[in-house]
Amino acid sequence: MFCFSTTIEKRNLIYGVFEDEEKLMTTVKQVRSKGIKIFDCYTPFPVHGLDVAMGISRTKLSVAAFMCGLTGFCLGLLLQFYTMIFDWPMIIGGKPSDYHMLPSMVPVTFECTILCTAYGLGILFFTRNKMGHGVRPDILDIRQTDDRLLIAFDTDDLDENSENEIRSIMNGNGVVEISNYKGAYADKKLTEGGAHA
Amino acid sequence: MSVIDSAIRPPLVTGDKSYSDVTADICRPLENKPSRLWWIGFIISFSCLMILFATLFWTTWTGIGVWNINKSVMWGWDITNFVFWIGIGHAGTLISAILLLFRQKWRMSINRSAEAMTIFAVLCAAVFPFFHMGRIWVGIYWVFPIPNAFGSLWVNFNSPLLWDVFAISTYFSVSLLFWYLGLIPDIATVRDRATTKVRKFIYNFFSMGWTGSVRTWARYEVVSLILAGISTPLVLSVHTIVSMDFATSVIPGWHTTIFPPYFVAGAIFSGFGMVLTLLLVARKVLNYENYITIGHIEAMAKVVMLTGTMVGLAYITEFFIAWYSGYEYEQAAFLNRMFGPYWWAYWTMMSCNLIAPQVFWFKWARTTPWFVFMLSIVVNVGMWFERFVIIVTSLHRDYLTSSWVMYSASWVEIGIFIGTFGLFFTCFFLFCRFLPIINMAEVKGILKNKE
Repeated sequence: MFCFSTTIEKRNLIYGVFEDEEKLMTTVKQVRSKGIKIFDCYTPFPVHGLDVAMGISRTKLSVAAFMCGLTGFCLGLLLQFYTMIFDWPMIIGGKPSDYHMLPSMVPVTFECTILCTAYGLGILFFTRNKMGHGVRPDILDIRQTDDRLLIAFDTDDLDENSENEIRSIMNGNGVVEISNYKGAYADKKLTEGGAHA
Repeated sequence: MSVIDSAIRPPLVTGDKSYSDVTADICRPLENKPSRLWWIGFIISFSCLMILFATLFWTTWTGIGVWNINKSVMWGWDITNFVFWIGIGHAGTLISAILLLFRQKWRMSINRSAEAMTIFAVLCAAVFPFFHMGRIWVGIYWVFPIPNAFGSLWVNFNSPLLWDVFAISTYFSVSLLFWYLGLIPDIATVRDRATTKVRKFIYNFFSMGWTGSVRTWARYEVVSLILAGISTPLVLSVHTIVSMDFATSVIPGWHTTIFPPYFVAGAIFSGFGMVLTLLLVARKVLNYENYITIGHIEAMAKVVMLTGTMVGLAYITEFFIAWYSGYEYEQAAFLNRMFGPYWWAYWTMMSCNLIAPQVFWFKWARTTPWFVFMLSIVVNVGMWFERFVIIVTSLHRDYLTSSWVMYSASWVEIGIFIGTFGLFFTCFFLFCRFLPIINMAEVKGILKNKE
């Protein structure tokens, strides 16, 4: 469809398909306790606490949102100060056109703050997730946006022992199926890596 | 984390649905051919939309003299309709943002359609002040601070009308972002079910590469929470600023400090009225009774009753304060509302907004869909009359008796009002046809009724 190479195309993955978020959660916890690295999990709905169980650190987007809001606040004030006080002061209806008009600057400043927070945050969110219109989605299994929950491991992170271990953990937790995904550019990466080595 | 089926709370989704049932049920209207009912509704709405274009064209071509507003009643149906539509929009943000902050899980199957309603209602609202400007081709310089060649004539930031421009445009933009963000996971679901090439392309384009990765979900949840947090003061500010259009003037009947909270309560009241009107039809036509349950209807009816009573309290407070202030112009304005030539509008407002919702004290009234539907129409009518009463009865008796006039709308004004209903319902019908009207991802998250 579109030709953006995606994160998983350079990788070989093993993934387990689950029907129930509790079983996936248990699997994640057990795998983590063995010290095996999880590539990612894919769920059709937000599973609360799964990010913590996977050891993903809390996003700093809230700090970024505050900075965006601060920028909007300053821009809003700047706009009103410049137009109403410096560039072309107008006295309409006897209302002041100097710093005494600060109270009537509150609404517009507030709206600018909100607008910049929302859109700044939105843009950062999409950038951080590498999302954009027309980006090809990293779909391992067509059901991952419907009713199945996936846990994926990068084969580079696994040796024979750990692979057997994850298979037995997943089977113990009632995995529906375990499959392999072979990225289109995965082998290319391996040969390149080999050449450098 | 353990799953506990709550013993005391009824399930939010009935019918013992599995995850794939949810997907199949909610995607059905998108994937099947539209029903005859959909076509009938769409064609009627679209015809009304054409009336909007025709009357707006006539207004612009001839000038706003084609409206019946005059120098005493300079705001008539246009601003009445503007406040009416903006008010309707508020329920969407209330449901999606404020109920999210309060962790009210029943919001999840209604928030998508309520937010869509917000966006369409704000679009309809924006039509009125925009065309009221008359010469719309220069209007952009009057409302936005754009550098210009008129001697750097900037907009007046001391005016509440300008605050309104900022409030409404911010409200529209932020609501749109919030709505779209919530839609992305569901668009991805539709994308992965798509069978034709065109559908795949379009839904792929709008899903922005969503995969449902846990890292993305974690960020998504934080972003939703922050957007809800900033939308809450935003929605309160919007109707506060709308009320300031009136309250900062010196017109008896408008010059009232109670206006901001009174308008916000009225907005939520009318918004929930419209949400009920739309969803009671949608749940029946689309067979969503298991998702939009009687429990949802009852909860919304309670909100209608509460906010209706708040609005009624505000009416009575205003009247009391007019008497208590000893200010004879204020007293005359309020007596004129009740017993003057527009008495019928005042009493329609009173009976629809204060008295009618009191039936929701009875459980039967809250849980009977057809009855709630009738009441929701009453609420919509009542809230339109509230704005008409505030605007027209305050203006038509000026300080000088020589300026006293009566006002009734011209056919163009009526046409524009009907036309905005066309715009609203055309958008809503298209929304029902092409996007999932219930948030599938969130509903899947509450299927097991975790507490």
